[in-house]
Amino acid sequence: MSGPALTIAQVSVRFGGIVALDNVSITVDAGSIHAVIGPNGAGKSTLINAITGIYTPSSGRIEFFGRRIDGRPPQEIERLGIGRTFQNTELFREMTAIENVIVGLNRQINYGLFEGALHLGGFRSGEVKARDDAMAHLAFVGLADDADTIASNLPFGKQRRLEIARSLATRPQLLLLDEPAAGLRPAEIAELNEILLGLRSKQRLTIVVIDHVMALVMAISDRVSVLNFGNKIAEGTPKEVRASPEVVKAYFGEERSHARGT
Amino acid sequence: MRRVAFAAIGFGLFLLAPHVLRDFQLFQLCLIAGTAVIVLGLVVVTGMAGQISLAQSAFVAVGSYGSAILADKCHIPLWAGIPVSAVGAAFVGFALGQITLRVAGHYLALATLAFTAIVQLILIHADDLTGGAAGMPVPAFAIGSLVFSKAGQLYYVIVPAAVTAFLIFANLLRSRFGRMLAAMRQSEIATASVGIDVLRCKALAFAASAFLGALGGGLLAPLTSYLDPAQFGVIEAISLLAMAVIGGMRSPIGAIFGSAIFILLPEALQHFQTYLGLIFALLLCVSIVARPDGLASLRLNLGRGR
Repeated sequence: MSGPALTIAQVSVRFGGIVALDNVSITVDAGSIHAVIGPNGAGKSTLINAITGIYTPSSGRIEFFGRRIDGRPPQEIERLGIGRTFQNTELFREMTAIENVIVGLNRQINYGLFEGALHLGGFRSGEVKARDDAMAHLAFVGLADDADTIASNLPFGKQRRLEIARSLATRPQLLLLDEPAAGLRPAEIAELNEILLGLRSKQRLTIVVIDHVMALVMAISDRVSVLNFGNKIAEGTPKEVRASPEVVKAYFGEERSHARGT
Repeated sequence: MRRVAFAAIGFGLFLLAPHVLRDFQLFQLCLIAGTAVIVLGLVVVTGMAGQISLAQSAFVAVGSYGSAILADKCHIPLWAGIPVSAVGAAFVGFALGQITLRVAGHYLALATLAFTAIVQLILIHADDLTGGAAGMPVPAFAIGSLVFSKAGQLYYVIVPAAVTAFLIFANLLRSRFGRMLAAMRQSEIATASVGIDVLRCKALAFAASAFLGALGGGLLAPLTSYLDPAQFGVIEAISLLAMAVIGGMRSPIGAIFGSAIFILLPEALQHFQTYLGLIFALLLCVSIVARPDGLASLRLNLGRGR
């Protein structure tokens, strides 16, 4: 773990009079799994949308390996090496699983318009290589047997993993996962954990996980930042965060924290 | 092997047709081929890329008038003028795309509809170039001293050109470029998240549809031999979209089916001329409800791009 992959410095996002993120600073170390947690409406999704260029921060700066990225359009930020998944999954629903991943590989398929028009030259080899690569990504997330299933026919847990495979196909250095465990059964969460730990150790990927399901976050995260009402209220190792009275208050309400304090 | 057999049979039919069909039937065949190229443009931009376009008849006008004016004023023969106009239309389409594609759905339909209305107004008021409301004659299609004027002769130009356009675009739709369009239609936000520039992609789809519209228009101009600005209005744009819907927007074959029905049905129903509009309207309604992917979805998987 050396140096920051992602630096979020005093970032605020406002929509009209509503402050969705208020002066939030988070530093994500390269090669780590960093969780951002918080109750509903804490600003977690706003944060991920600000990083990926869907929202432009009202103030503050976001840097990716020292390069400023806030204010750039989403496709440009992705090209710098930031992949993402979506809270409600955004798959290409009419395509098969493998086709979804092949779209992710698009920029690595390098035949041109002319070869595409005539199906000559690099077309065939490019398509064959794309299929092989896509298959490898599917196998990595455990979907090898579902390659030819239409995406919208996959069970929810598999749709989640397919989104990860599609994002991995773009060869990101940083992967942002927006509530990857929401709606998953405990067994599926365990599988997801294995995949994410594998990504960190084998591919040296930096991962930011946004979630409110503690089981995923606490088991695999190196560091945890806690948001509440658009503010960062705590940060530390999973153990430290779990013990923080602020966090307990945010999650369980006043009474419980008083009860704990006394 | 099968592809070679198909190609051989197709080529055989192509050579046989002029000896079997009457002149009027060849005329209809040419009309279908040219129209199918125009509708193929809508398959690309609306069916694949998901952007509703009512600008297609304007692009047809750019191809028809463009090549006729180039021949009239600059003495550029049609065989060169048609591709030049089509490339010109592609640039216009790309620019139009950059401007209008920031809006979507109904607003995009309205913006493209306005474009068609503007182009038609230009055709009517630029008297010196277009002959104004009275229209203009189209010079004969000639390569050197070889003149193609009757349908039986133009057949050897229009049908091969249309087939070539179809083969190229069917290939493109089954390549990474077709996948980009399909991805964009299904989720723009996910398409951007894998690094594809959605706006540029849409504008390119518009450019392709403009190219095909103008190519089809240019090919049909010498066949009809006279250009009347009334043929390039909003109603025609809607008819073209209806052809795409009835034929099937998700595959190139759908463009051929749709064009064939719109050209052949009026002949078969000559006695119901008064109700033709009603019949097409009903056909459109039925196909939207019963066959949202058009007639093309009835056949097997030939050349399908998902």
